Amino acid sequence: MASRRPAGVDGPLFKQALLGSLTWLSANHEEVNRLNVFPVPDGDTGTNMLLTLQSAVEDIRESNAAEVSKIAKLASHGSLMGARGNSGVILSQIFRGFARAVEGKSSLTPRELADAFEEAANAAYRAVNKPTEGTILTVAREAGRAAAAAASEVDATVPGVIAAAAGGARAAVTKTPSQLQILRDAGVVDAGGFGLQIILEGMLKTFEQAETFHIDMVAPKPKAAQVALDLPEGGWGYCTEFLIEGAALDVDVIRGEIEALGNSVLVVGEPELVKVHVHTDDPTRVITLAGGFGKLLKLNVGDMSTQHKRILDSEGAAGRPPRANGVGLVAVVAGSGLVDIFRGLGVDAIVEGGQTMNPSTQDMLTAVDGVPYDEVVLLPNNGNVVLAASQVRGLTKKKVHVIETHSVPQGVAAVVAFRPERSGGENVETMKAEAARVQTIEVTHAVRDTRSNGLKVKKGDVIGLVNDKLEFAGGDYAEVVNKALGKLGPDAYELVTVYRGQGASDEELAQLESAIRSSFPGLEVEVQQGGQQHYPFILSVE
Amino acid sequence: MSSKRRFAVVTDSTADLPDEWRARYGIEVVPLKVIFGSETFRDRVDITDDEFFRRLSAATKLPTTSAPSPGEFAEVYRRLAAEFDACISIHLGAQLSATVESAKLGAQAVDGFRVEVIDSETVTMPIAFLCKVAAESESLEAASAAVRARVPKARVLALLDTLRYLEMGGRLSRAQAMIGTMLDLKPLLLVADREIKPVDRVRTRSRAVSRMADYFRGELPVEHVAVMHAQAPDEAEAIAKGLRELLPGQEIPIGKIGCVLGTHTGPKALGVVYIKK
Repeated sequence: MASRRPAGVDGPLFKQALLGSLTWLSANHEEVNRLNVFPVPDGDTGTNMLLTLQSAVEDIRESNAAEVSKIAKLASHGSLMGARGNSGVILSQIFRGFARAVEGKSSLTPRELADAFEEAANAAYRAVNKPTEGTILTVAREAGRAAAAAASEVDATVPGVIAAAAGGARAAVTKTPSQLQILRDAGVVDAGGFGLQIILEGMLKTFEQAETFHIDMVAPKPKAAQVALDLPEGGWGYCTEFLIEGAALDVDVIRGEIEALGNSVLVVGEPELVKVHVHTDDPTRVITLAGGFGKLLKLNVGDMSTQHKRILDSEGAAGRPPRANGVGLVAVVAGSGLVDIFRGLGVDAIVEGGQTMNPSTQDMLTAVDGVPYDEVVLLPNNGNVVLAASQVRGLTKKKVHVIETHSVPQGVAAVVAFRPERSGGENVETMKAEAARVQTIEVTHAVRDTRSNGLKVKKGDVIGLVNDKLEFAGGDYAEVVNKALGKLGPDAYELVTVYRGQGASDEELAQLESAIRSSFPGLEVEVQQGGQQHYPFILSVE
Repeated sequence: MSSKRRFAVVTDSTADLPDEWRARYGIEVVPLKVIFGSETFRDRVDITDDEFFRRLSAATKLPTTSAPSPGEFAEVYRRLAAEFDACISIHLGAQLSATVESAKLGAQAVDGFRVEVIDSETVTMPIAFLCKVAAESESLEAASAAVRARVPKARVLALLDTLRYLEMGGRLSRAQAMIGTMLDLKPLLLVADREIKPVDRVRTRSRAVSRMADYFRGELPVEHVAVMHAQAPDEAEAIAKGLRELLPGQEIPIGKIGCVLGTHTGPKALGVVYIKK
C-alpha cells in the first residue's frame, strides 16, 4: 500500500512504519532483554518496551485515518495506557512528544518529521526528574539531531531522515558504556536505548522494503496483571471497553453520553475511531448507545462484580466499613503471602506484579478507579514500576498519590504507617518518611556472569542487594545476609523481618535464622511467608 | 484521720492503687478475681503481679476474670456504714466489666448507707487518680462533682507488646483496630470515651515508645499522670524520667498493671495514664 518513495509521511504510511517497528522489536526484544545491567531477575526492558509498543499500535490497526496526526495521537494514548517499566514509560513520552509536534498535520515533510523526532526527545527529557545521559534519553536526542541534520540537506527525503535517525541512535547506543559506569562494569550497552534503536530501524525497513511487512505477531501476550479488588458490597458493574468506527464522530458528545451511564470513563480518539472505557452497571445500554454512533470493534465486557464477589467469598472479608478519611490504598505486590500481608494491613486493591512482571499503567489505573474512594495512595513497591505508576495521576479524575516505594519492605513500612483517621496529605507525608527509614536486603541468584559495583559475580551465585544496589556475592544465603546486615550496622536496628520466597527450603530458612541470631544477638528476627518468586529471601531491617 | 471524714472512698483492684495512697487516704479496695482453670485468685490478695505474669506466660489457655459479687460489695459497704455516713465507690469502666453493676446491687442491699457509685469509664491508675481527688474533697457532694467532671478526661495510652491477649479476650475487634494480623505489630491504643481506639501501629518497640511520648505531649496539659507497666520496670522508669523532665514538679508515680488488666494486655505492656486538664 505504501508507495516506494513517498514524498511525505501521512496517516497510512506512519501506521505502516509503526507496525514495522513492532515487527522488528518483537523479533529482537530478547536481544534487548539480555542487556540487563544487574544480574538479577527483574522486569526485562525488551519485553516492557515491546508490550508498550503493542499497546501503542493496538488501536491503530483498526484506523484508516488519512492524517498522520490522528495515528500519532492513537499511538500516544495507547502507549501511555500500556506503559510498563521505566523504559516503557519513556517510550510513551516519546510518542506523546511526537504526537504533539504533528498535531493538526495530515502529512509530514522531511523537515517536519525531523522536528517531530526532536520534539519527541525533548518530551522524554521533560518526563524524567533527573535525566541521566547514556540512556534511552540520550539515544532519542541523538536520533533527533541526526534526523535534523539529514533534513537540512537540499535533497532531503523521508527515508533519508529516518535512516539518519536510526543511524544516530545506533551511534549513540554504542557510546552509552562510556557515559555510564554501570554499563561499563557490566560490559553492555543501554537496553532502553537499544530498544529505541530497533524501533527506528523497524520504521526504516518499512520504507526500504518494496513490500510491506508481513505482519505476523509472535510477540508474547502480556500476562494480564490481575487486579484483585477488595471492596464493600454494592454495584461495581462491568468494565466495558470497545472502539467505535464511524464518520465524523464527536468525541465530546460521546463522552458526555457515556459519562451518564457509569464511572471511570475514558473516551478518546478521532472522528473516525473512538476508544471507550467505562465501568457501568448496565453494559447493554452502553453498547446500544455506542452502536448508534457507529460500528463497534473489539468489544470487551468484564464482570467486576463477580470478581469482587469471588474475592469476598474466598476471603470472608465481611465488608470493611468505609474509611473515615476517604482514602483508598492500592499496592503492586506479587507472592501469595505478601498479598495477604498487604491485605491484612488494609490495602483495598492489589495489582499483581513486581520484580519480573511489571504491571502497565492501565493495570494500575483500573485498580485505582476500582476502589471506592476518590483519593488513592498507590504503592509501586518496585523501582521499575514507579514511573509507570506515576503516569496514573494524569489518567484518572481521582486524586492519586504515588509513594515511590522501591521494595516490598518499603511498601510494608508505608502501609503500616497509614492511619484511617488522618487526611490523605498527612498520611502521604508519614508514609514517605517511614518508607525511607526501612532498609531492604534482597537475596537471589545471579542470572549471568558479570561485574557490577566492583564485584565479580558468576551465574548461579547467591547475591545480596542492599537498597537496590548489588553489594555482596557468596555461596549461601546466610553468608550473604550476614555480610549485608554487617554493612548496615546492626546496632542501629532492632528488627529483621524475613519474607520467605518460593525458592527457599525449610532448612535454608532455619540456617538463615540461626545465622542472624548468632551473629547479631541484639536483633529480633521475625519470619513471614512471602511466597515471592525469584527472590528466596527479602529482608526488612528497621 | 479517716474517722473524721464523713464519707469513705471505695474502689476495686483494677485501679492499681499505689499502696502509699491506699494508706495515706484510707481507701478501700475490693478485689476482682482471676481464674486459671479451676483455681480462683482474688486480685492482689491471693496472687501477686509477679506470680500472675509467671502463670500467664506458662498458661495454655487465657485465664478468665470476674467482677466482685454484689454480696462482696454489700459486705464492704456494711462494714463502712459503722464508721461513715456515706461512701463514694469508683470502679472499672462499665463497658469493660460488670463491676459497676455489682457495686450498685451491693449498695441497694445495705439500708441507711448512702453509696455514690461512679463508672470511671476507664481502667487502671486513672481510677486511682479519681479516688485521690475524691479523698481530698470536703464532702461527698464535692467529691462526686469533682470525680464526675474528670471522668470524661481520663485517658489510658497503652503500648502492647502484642495484640494477642486483647484479641483472645474479645476486647478488640480486628476491624476496629485496622491492625494487620500477619505482621507482629506493636499497637498503641487509647482508652477514652468508653472505647479502645487504635492510635498508631509501629513495627518496633523503641519507636512505639517514642510515638507514645509524642502522643502524650500533644495531650498536655494534664492534671495527673503516671507510667504503668507489666513486667517492664526499666522501660517504665525510662519513660517516667522523660516525663519528669517534661513536667518538672509534677508527681509521676510508676504503677504496675495488675492481674485483671494484665490478662488483656499481656506481659511487657507499657502505658502512660493521665487526666487531661
